[in-house]
Amino acid sequence: MKKLFSTLLSATMILTLAGCSNGGNTSASTGTEDKTYTVGMVCIGNAEMAYDRNFYNAADAAKEILADKGINIEWKYTYDHPEGDPVAADCTEFGEDGAIAVFLNSYGMENAMLTVAGDYPETVFASLTNEGSKSDDLDNTVNAFPSIFEGRYLTGIAAGMKLNEMIENGEITEDEAVLGYVGAYTYAEVVSGYTSFYLGAKSVCPSAKMLVEFIGSWGDPAMEATTAEHLIDQGAVVISQHSDSTTPATKCQEKGVYHIGYNIDMSDVAPEASIVSSTIDWTNYFVYVIETIVNGGTVDQDYMNHGLKDGDIKLTALNESVAAAGTAEAIEAAKQDIVDGKLHVFDTSTFTVDGKEVTEAYLDMNADFTPDDVNAISDGYYHESVYKSAPNFDLRIDGITLVNEAY
Amino acid sequence: MEEKVPFVRVTRRQDFKKSSVWMIRILAFVIALVLGCFVFLLCGVSPLQAYAEIVKGAFGKMTGIRQTVKIMIPLLGTALALAPCFKMKYWNIGAEGQITMGAIGAAFFAINFHDKLPGAVLLAVMALAAMILGGLWSAVPAFFKSKWGTNETLFTLMLNYIAIGIVAWLQGGPWEGKEGSQIVPNFASNAILPKIGGIYCGWIIVLALVFFMYFYMNRTKHGYEIAVLGDSENTARYAGMDVTKVIVRTALISGAISGLVGFMLASGANQTIYSGIAANNGFTAITVAWLSQLNPFAMVLISALLAGLSKGSSSLKTAMGVPGSISDIITGIILLCLLGCEFFINYRLVFRHKEEKNV
Repeated sequence: MKKLFSTLLSATMILTLAGCSNGGNTSASTGTEDKTYTVGMVCIGNAEMAYDRNFYNAADAAKEILADKGINIEWKYTYDHPEGDPVAADCTEFGEDGAIAVFLNSYGMENAMLTVAGDYPETVFASLTNEGSKSDDLDNTVNAFPSIFEGRYLTGIAAGMKLNEMIENGEITEDEAVLGYVGAYTYAEVVSGYTSFYLGAKSVCPSAKMLVEFIGSWGDPAMEATTAEHLIDQGAVVISQHSDSTTPATKCQEKGVYHIGYNIDMSDVAPEASIVSSTIDWTNYFVYVIETIVNGGTVDQDYMNHGLKDGDIKLTALNESVAAAGTAEAIEAAKQDIVDGKLHVFDTSTFTVDGKEVTEAYLDMNADFTPDDVNAISDGYYHESVYKSAPNFDLRIDGITLVNEAY
Repeated sequence: MEEKVPFVRVTRRQDFKKSSVWMIRILAFVIALVLGCFVFLLCGVSPLQAYAEIVKGAFGKMTGIRQTVKIMIPLLGTALALAPCFKMKYWNIGAEGQITMGAIGAAFFAINFHDKLPGAVLLAVMALAAMILGGLWSAVPAFFKSKWGTNETLFTLMLNYIAIGIVAWLQGGPWEGKEGSQIVPNFASNAILPKIGGIYCGWIIVLALVFFMYFYMNRTKHGYEIAVLGDSENTARYAGMDVTKVIVRTALISGAISGLVGFMLASGANQTIYSGIAANNGFTAITVAWLSQLNPFAMVLISALLAGLSKGSSSLKTAMGVPGSISDIITGIILLCLLGCEFFINYRLVFRHKEEKNV
């Protein structure tokens, strides 16, 4: 049976050979500068995945920016290692190679990285989107998570504008202004994301309601599509998502409703449904870390409070043929207010929990998983990604219904 | 009459000398390497350079060797666990689940008792809990088989998914760290196996197991019973052996060793638990056990070879930008050739016209 399995495995893999181009050999030619620094990246997937592609693009951009500053780097990648011992092995390998920095592109990798990072104090290990590295006793392990909720809020405005347009055209009534959201897990990162999206929509369409359904996975194309369809069946007319594939967008197109994306521009796969996407641009962070190390500085333990104002959070091109009239202007105005500090996404006067305004929401700052350290709410708003970069907004606000809460 | 003779048929052969058997195996390995060259060429990579990179990555530097040994520990340990079952012709393909259950047992004490027990006692309790859970996970299908003749292959396979499912639930439920994260935090330092020679001390445990298993299989009454039962159940009954007892006992020991591997993976390699903690060792170990003909000492070599291939090919990915699937193909080709050559060692193909000449 094992033999048969090997044969089949080999056969399928040989078939996929066609896709293997001669990538990765571009670094040999740069011999003009005195030194080329090695930088590693541990990837949860590979070039085929939208999520990882977002990181490669940023890595390439960072390489160019650094070259202009006289810093030559060479990226080395490992693929398809989401967690566990393979990640530790990758980190060891990069550490041995003398990499000055290693970026881990998914939060599940942090545990494994922390088991070996202490062996390579000269290498900075950056666990992106997690929060255990900043509070451990190793100086060379850090965290980063740009303020994606700002981008989500802006795309929420686009969704709200679409709802308003549909109400005006008589396609739906005010009570039928329902948003849908395909969520991964009931994790603070996801809760923060869908709440900021909803608040953006509500800021322009006060009657908007939202349904959230969780799929129990960060990416599962079939499940994401089924869930989107389920939300549409329950009356959602604009859908957004916190999951890795583009199937919710294509499902929306098929069902004739609208869609707001995440990570990448989805208007190519769903030109009649996709309005806009929000995305994290990691270029700035890569440049910051590498430049700091090369210049002998200390990399911040946590990369907090970097969002729209720094260009770390971006929106993809607005799909004008689908977006409601005036969307671009509304987004631009809100963006300016956020950048100027006039508008706070989690303004406590704009939402309630069980009918009451919230004044207290404590954070866990010492990694004991008990949120009892700092009150994130002050000056009338929840300070998301201010005390620590990882999203922590975990309140279940009124107007959002969770279809399931099993995950 | 002549029509009934098929064009080619398979007959058993026992005429090879031991030396020529090994020559055939080495030849198969060489053929695999040559076939692998074509794959590398197709991909635009120099085969010699690629092979050199694999060897260098796996055995070139001290850290490479350490990483190879780290991969080898669970592979060797699980192959040793499977040996008595396979000897008995009891097809336990549930090592993956038994490892996972072992890891659960270890993690339970690591998470709940790390502040109540001193390091050495805690580790001993974790190991014991792992062996008990792994053993039970393996003994249940053995009991069903010996009592009611259920199919152990299906039964043990299904139990794998249940064990993995239990961990998935635990890591999103009672043992979850940050709410919703699906991640169990790393264990406290006293629940982690100490390092010896730069690698967690599991390598000493599995080396001890190699000698134990050799002794157990070849020098004990249990080992003899396993061998007899493997050859013929009726002979075993006729000789007065309690077949049920032997099957359940052997499966229990096998599962306990797999459980111990789970303990080492949780406490040594990963320092935490997650649903993929067995990382296919339970299946790859089947290959190791077969290639070694169930000989514990040969298992050391074979698992070192497979671990080296795994480590070397991951270096190859990083060093030469070769896609991961290419390294998998190379490993697949080598395994296929090595397993395939066993067929030609044990059987000969008899063609029709040849037979006529013989007559």
